Amino acid sequence: MARFVIRRVISMVLVLFAISVLTFLIFQAIPNGDPAVRLAGRTATPEQIELIRQSWGFDDPLWQQYLTTMGKILSGDVISYTQQLSVMSQIKQALPATLSLSIGAGIIWLFFGIVFGLFSAIKAGKFTDRALTVLALIGVSTPVFLLGAVALYFLAFKVQIFPNGGYVPLTQDPIDWLYHMLLPWMVLSVLFIGVYSRVLRSNVLDTMSEDYVRTARAKGISEKRVMVRHVLRNSMIPIISLWSLDFAAVLGGGAILTESVFNLHGVGQYAADSIQQLDVPPVLVVVMLGASAVVVLSALTDVLFAFLDPRIRLTG
Amino acid sequence: MGTAPDYLDPQLAYTTQAVEAHWISYTGLLTYRHEEGEPGTQLIPGLADALPRISDDGKTYEFTLRRGLRYSDGTAVRASDYPYSIERMIRIPWGGRSFVTNYVVGAADFDAGRARSVSGITADDATGRITIRLREAYGAFSNVLAFPALAFVPRGTAIRNLSNDPPPGVGAYILTDVVPNRSFTLRKNPEFASFRIPDIPTGNLDTIRVNIVSNTNSEAQQVLNNQADIFDSGDTLPPALLPQIESQARDRFARKPVPSTFYFFLNTTKPPFNNEKARIAVNMAMDRDALSRIASGFLETDCFFIPRGIVGHPTSECPYGDRPDLAGAQRMLRDAGLEGAPVTVWGQERSPRKEYIDYYTDLLNKIGFRATERIIADTVYFPTIGNARTDPQTGFADWLQDFPNPSDFYLLMDGRSIQPTNNQNFSKVNDPFIQRELRRLNAVPATELDSVADEWAALDEYTARRAYVAVYGAEAVPKFFSNKLNFDSVFHPLYFNDWSTLSLR
Repeated sequence: MARFVIRRVISMVLVLFAISVLTFLIFQAIPNGDPAVRLAGRTATPEQIELIRQSWGFDDPLWQQYLTTMGKILSGDVISYTQQLSVMSQIKQALPATLSLSIGAGIIWLFFGIVFGLFSAIKAGKFTDRALTVLALIGVSTPVFLLGAVALYFLAFKVQIFPNGGYVPLTQDPIDWLYHMLLPWMVLSVLFIGVYSRVLRSNVLDTMSEDYVRTARAKGISEKRVMVRHVLRNSMIPIISLWSLDFAAVLGGGAILTESVFNLHGVGQYAADSIQQLDVPPVLVVVMLGASAVVVLSALTDVLFAFLDPRIRLTG
Repeated sequence: MGTAPDYLDPQLAYTTQAVEAHWISYTGLLTYRHEEGEPGTQLIPGLADALPRISDDGKTYEFTLRRGLRYSDGTAVRASDYPYSIERMIRIPWGGRSFVTNYVVGAADFDAGRARSVSGITADDATGRITIRLREAYGAFSNVLAFPALAFVPRGTAIRNLSNDPPPGVGAYILTDVVPNRSFTLRKNPEFASFRIPDIPTGNLDTIRVNIVSNTNSEAQQVLNNQADIFDSGDTLPPALLPQIESQARDRFARKPVPSTFYFFLNTTKPPFNNEKARIAVNMAMDRDALSRIASGFLETDCFFIPRGIVGHPTSECPYGDRPDLAGAQRMLRDAGLEGAPVTVWGQERSPRKEYIDYYTDLLNKIGFRATERIIADTVYFPTIGNARTDPQTGFADWLQDFPNPSDFYLLMDGRSIQPTNNQNFSKVNDPFIQRELRRLNAVPATELDSVADEWAALDEYTARRAYVAVYGAEAVPKFFSNKLNFDSVFHPLYFNDWSTLSLR
C-alpha cells in the first residue's frame, strides 16, 4: 500500500508539472497574447506598456516567468492579470457551486446509468431495451448547451416551474439550493446516463455468459443474488473507472457549458471567462485543480477496484 | 448584466458596465448633465462650484470645491484629496491615464517614478481652490476631468485594487456588497441630497442590486418575464428572442443609438488602399442598410466619422451617395487597374462583427478585389491589428467614445497616433490638412465646442471625401426594462441607463 501511495504521489507531481508547463507555453505561443498590452488599455502609450511589462515581470525570461507564477500559485498569492483579484479567493468562491453540481449530477448519472443499463441488459432484445437504447443515443448525441438552453426556455421561461439559472448556496437556503440545482443536474446527467447505460448493458451481457455465473445459477443461488453479487459487481469495474474520471473532470471545472448556461458561477465558468481573456494565472490554477482531481480520484478508484475484485492487487 | 465590470474600484475601471455604476457613486470636479441625447453630453460642475476658469493660453484650469461635502463614510471632502486621487489613479494604474499623463505638468514623471507627486496639480484646503496646469492646451481636458476615474476618493485610500470593497465616494449611491464577478449593490446615499448639487439627481430607488448573468438569453428572458428589471444595455440581445420582445414588450423596449463609429479601416500606406480610387470604390459599393440588417437593427447607418450626437457631426449628404453603387465601384477599380488585387480582411470572432466581415469580404470580391478573411480572437484583435508587424490592409474597427468630444474620435485620424504597438490609427492617416486642423481645433475648450462645430463638420466632410475609412454607422443598444419600472428614465449617451433616474411604476 505504501509503495502504491508513493508511486501515485510521484506520478501526480509529474503530471501536474507537465500540464502546467504545457498550459503556460500554449498561452505564450498565442500571437499577440502579450498581457502588458491588454493590461495597459487601448489608449496607453508605448512607455506605459513598457512600465507594466517591467512591473509585472513580463520581460523576464520565460522559465523565470513560469517559476514566478508557479511560486505564487503554490503560496496562494497568485492574482489574475485582467481583474487583479486573488485567484485562490475566486476559486474558493466558485467551488461550492461546482461541488454542488458535480456531486448531485454524479450521483444522478451513476444511479440512472446503472438502473437503465441493468434493465436494458435484463430485457435485452425486447421493446424496453430498444426504447432505452434510443433514449440513450438521444442523450449521448444532445449537446449540453442545446439541452440546457431548451430546458431553460421551456421549463424556466415558458412554464416557469424552475428558476432561470443562478445559484443559491446550500448554507443560505437548502430548499432554494435544491430548486436551483435540479435542472442543471438533470441536464448535465443526460449525456452521462446515456453513455453509462450503454457501457453497463454491454458489460452485464458479457458477464452473464461467463462460466462462474452459470455455476452460480447451477448451485441454485437466487437470480437476484446472481445478478447483484456476481454479474453487477463484476460489470461495475469499467463503470467506476469511467465515473471517477468524469466526476473528477466536472469537479475540476470541466462542466464549463452547464455552469455558463445555468449561470452557476462555478470553477468551470471562471475558467471559461479566464480563457476568453487569455488570463494565464487562473487558467493554470483551474487546469492544475482539474488534473489533481483526476489523479486523486483515479488513485481512489484503484483502491475500490481491489475491493470489488480481489484478483486486482495494489502491489507491483 | 451579462458582462462583469472590469473593476469596481473607480480608479481602475474603464468598461461601460463599471462606469454606469461609478457615474452615480463617484463624482469628480465636473460631470455630465443627466439628460438624453446631445444635452447629456454637456459638462456641468460636479463637486466644483462652477465650470473651470481656464487661462487665455488654455493651459491652467482653476476650480473651487463646493463647501460641506462629505464622502459616503462621513469623512469631509478636502481640496487636497484631489491631487491624491489623481496620483492614486496614475499609480494604480488606470487604463486611460495617458489622457492625464500626456498633458498635466509632472504627471508623466510621476507615472515613470521620477517624481513623488504630480507637480501640475495644487490644492488649498482653506480656500477649496484646485489648480491644474497643462503642458499644452488640450480642449477636451474638461471632458477628461469628468471621467469617474478622476473622481474624489479620500486621501490615504490604499493604492491597490479595491474592487472587492470600493472606497468611499461622493454620489447619489454607495457601491457595496460586492461579490466579484457575481453581484454588487448600489444603496442610496442619504446624505447626498443635503449637498444640493444642481442638476445631479439624488436617486429614487433605495437599492439597486446588480447580478452578473453569464447567459444573456436567461438575462433577457428574466426581464421579459419581469423576474429581473433591467437588461443591461452593454449586452447583446439574443436575436432569437428579439421578435418576442418586440411584440410582447413593445412599451418597455427601445433601440438607443450611442455615439460611436463602426467602420472598416483602409490602410493608406499599403496597396491597394494607398490608391484613393480603391478606397472610394469601397465607400461607393457599401450597402449600409444590409449591415444594419445583419445587426438586427442595432446599427444606425451613417457615413461620417464623427457620429450623430457629437458636436461637429456633418449634416451634408454622404460624398459617395446613400445608395450602394456596385457597378460604379467596379468601374472605378477597373480604371485604377486594381482588379484582382489581393486583400486580407481582418475581423473579430464575436457576432455580429464576424458577420460584418463576411459581408465586407464578399463585397470586396464583388467589386473586383481578391479578398480573404482573417478572423482572430476578440481579446487579441486590437493588439494584433495595432502592431506594426501585422500592418493589416483592411478590416473591422470601432470607436466608442471615451468622452463626447470630436477630438476623442479624431485621435484615430491623428498622424501622431501611429505607433509601432497599440496603434489606433489603423488606416495610418497622416494628412497635413487634418493635422493642421487638429492642432487648432483640439485646443478649443470643451465648454466652447459649439463655437467650432462647423469647422469640425468641415474637417469630417473632408475625411469622408478622402475615403480614409469606410464608415457604416453607429451602434444602437437595447433599453429593455421589466414592467415594474417606469420607462421614462434617462438613457444617457455616455453612461447608458441612468440608474439614478429609475423609478418604480
